[in-house]
Amino acid sequence: MSLAQLKVAALSSALRIQEHHSRALATTLTTAVVAYVIWKIVQSPEQALQFAFNGLPVGAVYALLALGFTLVYSTVWFFDLYYGAAAALGAYGVFYLRSQDFLGGRYDVNSHFVNIVFAAVVAGVVAWALHENFHSRLRSRFRPKVLLALGALPTGAVGVYMWLVLANPSSLNALLSPVIGVSVAAVAFWALQRAHRRLSFGRGRSAIVALVPAAAALGAYCGFLVAVTPESKLYLGWGVSCLLAGAVSLALYRGLYVYMRLRAKSPLIMLVASLGILLAITAIITIIFRAAPRPLPEAFGSDVWTIAGANIKGFNVFAIGVALAGFAGLLVLLKRTAFGTAVRAIGDDEEVSKVVGINTTVVVAVVFFIGAMFAALAGILSGHDTAIQPRMGLLLLLKGWIASVIGGIGNLHGAIIGGFALGMIEQFGIWDLAGEWKDVISFVVLIVFLSFWPQGLLPRR
Amino acid sequence: MALNTQAVGNLLRRRPRFARGNIELWANLVILSWAAAFMLWQGVGFAITVSTVFAIWAILAVSLNLVVGYTGLLSVGHVGFFGIGAYAMAILSSDASYEQLRTEAIPTFGWPFFAALPISVVLAGLVAIVVGVAFNRFRDDIYVLVSFGFAVIAFNLFLNWRPLTRGAFGIHEIARPEIGGWTLNGAFEFLVLALVFLAIVVLISWFIVTSSFGRVLTAIREDEQAIEVFGYQTAHYKLAIWVISAMMAGLAGALFGSWTSFIDPNSFVLLESILLVSIVILGGLATIWGSLLGAMAFVMLEEGMRFLPFLPTEYVGQARQVVLGVLLVLLMLFRPQGLVGKFRL
Repeated sequence: MSLAQLKVAALSSALRIQEHHSRALATTLTTAVVAYVIWKIVQSPEQALQFAFNGLPVGAVYALLALGFTLVYSTVWFFDLYYGAAAALGAYGVFYLRSQDFLGGRYDVNSHFVNIVFAAVVAGVVAWALHENFHSRLRSRFRPKVLLALGALPTGAVGVYMWLVLANPSSLNALLSPVIGVSVAAVAFWALQRAHRRLSFGRGRSAIVALVPAAAALGAYCGFLVAVTPESKLYLGWGVSCLLAGAVSLALYRGLYVYMRLRAKSPLIMLVASLGILLAITAIITIIFRAAPRPLPEAFGSDVWTIAGANIKGFNVFAIGVALAGFAGLLVLLKRTAFGTAVRAIGDDEEVSKVVGINTTVVVAVVFFIGAMFAALAGILSGHDTAIQPRMGLLLLLKGWIASVIGGIGNLHGAIIGGFALGMIEQFGIWDLAGEWKDVISFVVLIVFLSFWPQGLLPRR
Repeated sequence: MALNTQAVGNLLRRRPRFARGNIELWANLVILSWAAAFMLWQGVGFAITVSTVFAIWAILAVSLNLVVGYTGLLSVGHVGFFGIGAYAMAILSSDASYEQLRTEAIPTFGWPFFAALPISVVLAGLVAIVVGVAFNRFRDDIYVLVSFGFAVIAFNLFLNWRPLTRGAFGIHEIARPEIGGWTLNGAFEFLVLALVFLAIVVLISWFIVTSSFGRVLTAIREDEQAIEVFGYQTAHYKLAIWVISAMMAGLAGALFGSWTSFIDPNSFVLLESILLVSIVILGGLATIWGSLLGAMAFVMLEEGMRFLPFLPTEYVGQARQVVLGVLLVLLMLFRPQGLVGKFRL
């Protein structure tokens, strides 16, 4: 008998616990813990309500993360760790855009390098979108050089505009007001036209012409309103930084992951590669912003509401609302639109989706864009709630991951339930402990769930 | 004289050893000559320090390669065992009196290094048994997730279990190794000790991977179900290699604690674990030499960056992280087995 066999024989005796015994033990222990918490809630309901109010906004952040994460994971079936970096990028993007006016400009970090990189990324995304949309249609009409010029003009314009916006964050509202105006006008026109068509059953085409000035007026008014309200800069910053995080994600998918997925034998290759991206982006954020935690500027809703003896900040209620709205929006997108059908088809079988004519590259790239926007939004909300630091991304990513495991990987309903559940578990778990054990509790919950209920609360389909 | 044309033709057609495509050879040459040149340039003191850091990272990398490269379980939680070893060594061998510092007092025992070392290693192994039993059912990306979890839990224990670890204050005055009244105070003596331990770890690993046990591990990596069909209890094999690897990491931790003589939780953050995994992947999966090479490259990368004129010193660690991240992406694209690796992830 060799040494190796001896070692294995000795260790095998330690493993004799039967599977169903351990499962019964886990169920009993979990029930006991839950019963204990319920008993504590009955003992002091006011404190329990306060804990619930503390847990809900945190849960909202986790739910947002889990939603985006679930969307991406159930489409491509690999763990994209860039997702964590997207959360950090979102939060630091807001800090970057506001750093000139805020805290007396002490942490002003506007750098040409960053501006040019992000402008280039956005320009690249625009170029890609133009190419995907128009190249095949216009190829037969124009010569290649003309086509190139036609594409380069809007691309360059968007790039320069983005660079302008990033380079002058103190006049963000003035710079962005045309965009706001045009997009409001477009959305208003679309909605009015839809309503008109539904009410008039397709008759009266001339009335549509009358809708154009109405929509344009509304857009112009909104743009003007934004331009004259300096307070809007913070919220415009939210939008810009979400868009940037999404654009980076899209660029990463289109520029890197597509090729990598063609070669990858196992999902671990993608995981390690995105781990490299996370490492690099975290380090770059640390170099630009330093490692020390930073506050984000005060948003609205800092006043405290008292409901049934427990306190909650207005901003936290807003965060919960954002999570619910994000969930509803994602649900509509996935269940009611052709795009959503395509996403679900790709999640079921990518090869077959390609065969039936879905442009999988485009659909998955858009999924990456949306997922990263969710992550960035979660990063921003949590940054306003606490503070931001470069390594927040990894921890947020892991929390979103845990939330989607608790809810059931690949299930949107599960993601939102899991997110709020994780926030509550963290709060109620530290009732008898100190607050610093939160992370330990959530990871213990993760391991328990994966060991005994790997399907999560709501299994996929 | 009849010329054997075929033999000459073969000779000419053989690929020259220094062909551009031979990445393994070039990786070895570049890293080793870089290290040698750097040490010669910077002098003896520098070489000793760098080599000690290298030895500790190399022990960690070799031990992790047993799990990641040979068994195919991508664990990102190895720094937890490193920390357990370091904290066990610190608590057992420190004899600082903390009451004077007006911070929390912790039990310290003041044992000699060589008495505390086996206890630290065994403690890491015991923890690994518990963790390994819980983790054995997971695979692939779920394994990555739970091993992240282990690293986070371990870090939080070091940081928050203040009656035992003093939390963020850290533990001072960890004993230096002592052999029969001769204390290894000098840096060179410690380097020799670390290299001896590295040699032991490499020998044990080599013994494992060339034995039948190692072949079973490789088979688990390639196809776990297939090897189960042959009647092997793969769970036991996975647990065994996990525990052995954790004990090696505990050894590295104990050495690290004794070398720096002060530890605090910041040495055992999740990031260190990720860096460790990238060393193993960079060097090469399923080769012991690759892990040594990866550790050397990692240490040299940081030291090399210290001398870049345009890079402020406080950003060296970050810049190294950027380079490692980009290297990981490039490796995954073009060379998934790492520089000299045998196994493609």
